[in-house]
Amino acid sequence: MELNLEEALRYAGVPSPPPAELRRETAEVAAGLTAAVTPRWRWRLLSLEHTAEGPYLPELDLLLPGRTAALMLKECAQAALLACTLGAVFDARLRALQARDMARAVLLDGCGSAWVEAGCDAAEEEISGRLPGRFLTDRFSPGYGDLPLSLQPALCGALDAQRTLGLCVTDSCLLTPGKSVTALLGVADRPQMARVRGCRYCSMNQTCQLRKGGKSCGLS
Amino acid sequence: MGSLDFTDQLILLDGAMGTVLQQRGLPAGERPELLCLTRPELLEEIHREYIQAGSRIIYANTFGANAHKLAGTGHSVEEVVTQAVRIARRAAAGTDTRVAVDMGPLGELLEPMGGVSFEDACDLFREVAVAGAKAGAELAVIETMTDLYEAKAALLAVKENTDLPVLVTLSFEAGGRTFTGCTIPSMARTLEGLGADAIGLNCSLGPDMLLPLVQELCGSTRLPVVVKPNAGLPDPVDGHYHMDPEAFAQALFPCWEAGASLFGGCCGTTPDYIRRVREVLAGRAPVRRAYRPVSFLCTPTVPLRIDGVRTIGERINPTGKKRFQQALLEGDLDYILDVGIQEVDAGADILDVNVGYPGVDEADMLPRVVKKLQSALDVPLQLDSSNPAALEAGLRVYNGKAAVNSVNGDPAVQEQILPIVKKYGAAVVGLALDEGGIPHTARERVDIARRILEAALAHGIPREDVWIDCLTLTVSAQQGQARETLAALRAVREELGLQTVLGVSNISFGLPNRALVTETFLVQALEAGLTLPILNPNQKAMMDAVAAFRVLSGEDDGCRAYVARFAGESAPAAPAVPAADGGLTLEEAVIRGLRADAARLARAALETEEPLSLVNNRLIPALDAVGSGYEGGTLFLPQLLSAAQAAQAVFEVLKDALARTGGSMAAKGALAVATVRGDIHDIGKNIVKTVLENYGYQVVDLGRDVPAQAVCDAVAEKHIPLVGLSALMTTTLPAMEETIRMLKALPEPPAVFVGGAVVTPEHAARMGADYYAKDARQSVAVAREVLGA
Repeated sequence: MELNLEEALRYAGVPSPPPAELRRETAEVAAGLTAAVTPRWRWRLLSLEHTAEGPYLPELDLLLPGRTAALMLKECAQAALLACTLGAVFDARLRALQARDMARAVLLDGCGSAWVEAGCDAAEEEISGRLPGRFLTDRFSPGYGDLPLSLQPALCGALDAQRTLGLCVTDSCLLTPGKSVTALLGVADRPQMARVRGCRYCSMNQTCQLRKGGKSCGLS
Repeated sequence: MGSLDFTDQLILLDGAMGTVLQQRGLPAGERPELLCLTRPELLEEIHREYIQAGSRIIYANTFGANAHKLAGTGHSVEEVVTQAVRIARRAAAGTDTRVAVDMGPLGELLEPMGGVSFEDACDLFREVAVAGAKAGAELAVIETMTDLYEAKAALLAVKENTDLPVLVTLSFEAGGRTFTGCTIPSMARTLEGLGADAIGLNCSLGPDMLLPLVQELCGSTRLPVVVKPNAGLPDPVDGHYHMDPEAFAQALFPCWEAGASLFGGCCGTTPDYIRRVREVLAGRAPVRRAYRPVSFLCTPTVPLRIDGVRTIGERINPTGKKRFQQALLEGDLDYILDVGIQEVDAGADILDVNVGYPGVDEADMLPRVVKKLQSALDVPLQLDSSNPAALEAGLRVYNGKAAVNSVNGDPAVQEQILPIVKKYGAAVVGLALDEGGIPHTARERVDIARRILEAALAHGIPREDVWIDCLTLTVSAQQGQARETLAALRAVREELGLQTVLGVSNISFGLPNRALVTETFLVQALEAGLTLPILNPNQKAMMDAVAAFRVLSGEDDGCRAYVARFAGESAPAAPAVPAADGGLTLEEAVIRGLRADAARLARAALETEEPLSLVNNRLIPALDAVGSGYEGGTLFLPQLLSAAQAAQAVFEVLKDALARTGGSMAAKGALAVATVRGDIHDIGKNIVKTVLENYGYQVVDLGRDVPAQAVCDAVAEKHIPLVGLSALMTTTLPAMEETIRMLKALPEPPAVFVGGAVVTPEHAARMGADYYAKDARQSVAVAREVLGA
């Protein structure tokens, strides 16, 4: 697992290429973080049915509404459900650093976002390794496209995420601890095209500061 | 039915309920807690199978039956818990198996990680415990906790509202910590202090991987130890746990050898597992453990064994400190936290916390300060007060095991304070004085110490939690007393074997070169047996002396800590004013974010310049230069914040100078900031606060997850003309809109600016906000427009 510094700096509001001094400081923050906190994840394989109302997960009795899920899962008969988190220990570090040094805290916050993404990448590799001969779609999460945040409680419940990861959902469908991700990956029998990783599919596409400046976050 | 004896026999608990329910085809998406209403016969059958397999304690199906998790089901806690306990009791009727009301995590994280307050958590657990006891449960179980704070809330709820015996088990990862970072010694000593009857581990791992953790736990507590592991780990593809009953039972056997005495199974286990465990452990009795009590304080993540010299920082105390007094009166908790941060960075192991000052409601202030300190600092605290209500309020919200400073030889004081110390499992400092004052001889002080120890023991407080302060008197006033203090110290160590606390700074009042006298006395006291010096850790010479003493006493094994402390100091000491300082101006220091330099240059500048002119003519232009760089894309957010923090250091210098002369900064005008209800991630709001404060605005931080009414109340009460609201999620935009609507309905409606990841100018306009701030820098422009520059 590797924390992508450029990505961390972008999350902290510093475009590429970053000033050398900030890059050095971020590398320091990242080294401290990766030594102390390891992303944890859980996943499970679910069967998937296609109904008139959209893709349906029978084990969870859960319908995935909207265009995003339908498009992503079009060719899939199964889906992997993934949750990944840096845990409450990251939040504690971020709180402590905010009290000492807000500038550095912003860098840590960016590093945390990049680190949980690195965890998701590693989880995706693990899933892929357990499903030889099958092909995964891009991973996509509640909040991307039109996949609603209101799915979070059901997705976390399906992974027993409080017990297995210490991951909870608030009444407003916010994941706690802060650096946490839930995602779905379709499992298909033939290679899947990349779809999610572009601004068109991102729920931030009207508000993204990078996009307003004519740039992208690099995920496209 | 007599009470169940946990100590002289092995006790078999039950296995998983959820796993068996799934095997029997529990429909997808069905709430397991509601099965007591929909499938009572199924639950009863499973309970009965566990009893037949050998379970002496079965857990009623109430794991998630709290009001938070039941919300929206249309069923009350009392209804569900009563039914579930009745079902278990029916299954146990005619056997000697006991029924426990089971309490798992609430399903939402507690403050400061999540939105549930400690008291709300206590209330939610109280409902379950009381309903369970009323329905006839014979004990309470708190399980699968990963947050020690939540376990404490649940345990207090049981202890305060029922007389049920209570087992508490936490869920640990293989590294020996819970998801929130809690260590095994911290868990053990905190829960033992709070009065749990047995403690242990459940869920997360199989018994093989839990074994080292069980061994550590057995060495950390006097209490009976519970082990209730999973049947190994589940396979993500098919969901099956990898251990069969035989492997599970065999792997549990070494946990018995390690000293555990209550056994059961968690996820993946069934009656077959329990049956096999019974067979494997048949005829065994609990293994006697060699537990050696050690004085101890902790936070969840920092267990602090007091088996050598540990320093207690004394700076969180208003006595003689004008700036601190002002902060207390203004409720400026950020300042108090800063004082604590400095002490911790200087190496203090424990912080003494004293917030008693005329005009301050200590019982309200102490818990707030405890929470604030614990939100950002990871050291144990010693709560310093003579006010029992304040001590109880502070201990209640403290997460871990704290100390109380202090009681003394006066029985009236002991009767007020020792029951609180006992209830919350704290350590206690006993001052060697009584209603007659401070005795002049060492012998009399030791006698008082002995009486304090006896009183503490009589209240059920263990010996290792009693610390004695033999009292420092000023040597220039009462010269012979220094020797008496040292003699008393030595006797308390040798005759009573107790930890000793001593504030050393008082010794040198009224003398020149105070530091020399204080440091010499400190070394003498350490040699006489002082283990817990209370001192100012910012005085490097004092901390250096402690470091040297640890080398000479042998405590610092291999001199490693000492060498690390002074690594890189072999070069000649740097000159007081760095040479590179040549042309650095205050403006440059701020722009480059050099906090220490900015503070130093501000102190120098104050000799010739008025504070207000310093702010307006030098500080603000420097910040504006940074702001322009940020807007122009040549400087970025971290640099903007560095500059803001350098400016903050300058403001602190000015406030300190003004506090000493009795003046205060003419604040530019106040605004309030808050993250709206439902949003608990607040770094964006904190960024805005940092930047605005350093333009001289008084920022009232209402916090995160703030209900609309609370924002309105604060704004109305303080006549605040400008409010900044932040929202992070599309799901909380309605809360933002609601807050704006209510603010605009106030008799003096404030101007409102909004921002946050998902907020757009269009949202802002539609919701009735006056301004949209795309970032912290723009919030300055808003503040200037509304409040003036």
